[in-house]
Amino acid sequence: MSSIVISGDTSGSITLAAPAVAGTNTLTLPTQTATLSFNGPAFSAYADTAQTISSGTLTKVTFGTEEFDTNNNFASSRFTPTVAGYYQFNATILCKASSTISATILAFYKNGSAFARSFSLSVSSGEPMINGSCLIYLNGSTDYVEVYGSITGTGTITFGFNDSAITSRFSGALVRAA
Amino acid sequence: MTLPEKIMALYPRLTTQDFLTVITLQNNSDGRGDYIAKWEHPTLPRPTEEQLDGVK
Repeated sequence: MSSIVISGDTSGSITLAAPAVAGTNTLTLPTQTATLSFNGPAFSAYADTAQTISSGTLTKVTFGTEEFDTNNNFASSRFTPTVAGYYQFNATILCKASSTISATILAFYKNGSAFARSFSLSVSSGEPMINGSCLIYLNGSTDYVEVYGSITGTGTITFGFNDSAITSRFSGALVRAA
Repeated sequence: MTLPEKIMALYPRLTTQDFLTVITLQNNSDGRGDYIAKWEHPTLPRPTEEQLDGVK
């Protein structure tokens, strides 16, 4: 290595801090130009009440309780991060019908349009949970992600709620900076 | 009667598969209710508001 170059903003400062414990710690940088991202935005929320919907209709899922929202980017069941990058999202919907269920859909919507969908046919009875995950790039300003679900069935149809562990859930975190 | 029920009353031969592929009904949970977000059925025309309102 011939030199170390530290470039800062026009104001403020850069601090390189070592842990205040004995021992040797090594930070190995990648052999390419890259951006290291630590403590990026992450959130997790779940539905705290049942949500009645119409059969076969993609409906935005309401996640009323936040477990954590590290950067205050989650509001009204919508995630709008203020840091650009690639985000991993996971979602689960608890599907219920008073009679039968024949199909379910879980969809991630980016900026109001379907980005990724997973569905299942011939679900029959019971209380199926449909899961989905995807990696989405968000620009850190206007881009946002929501979860929509659909249940095709008969009788009263709901995104169900049993308790905080058995309910619909939506979480995401930055995995790579832009 | 819900929007999907009205559509099925107008077009009884529609299938679950149709609603997974060429037709999308949507609700943004904003108080505005269900609406047709996409209608790309190859043979059946998109129902008009008058047709939907007329289904009892």
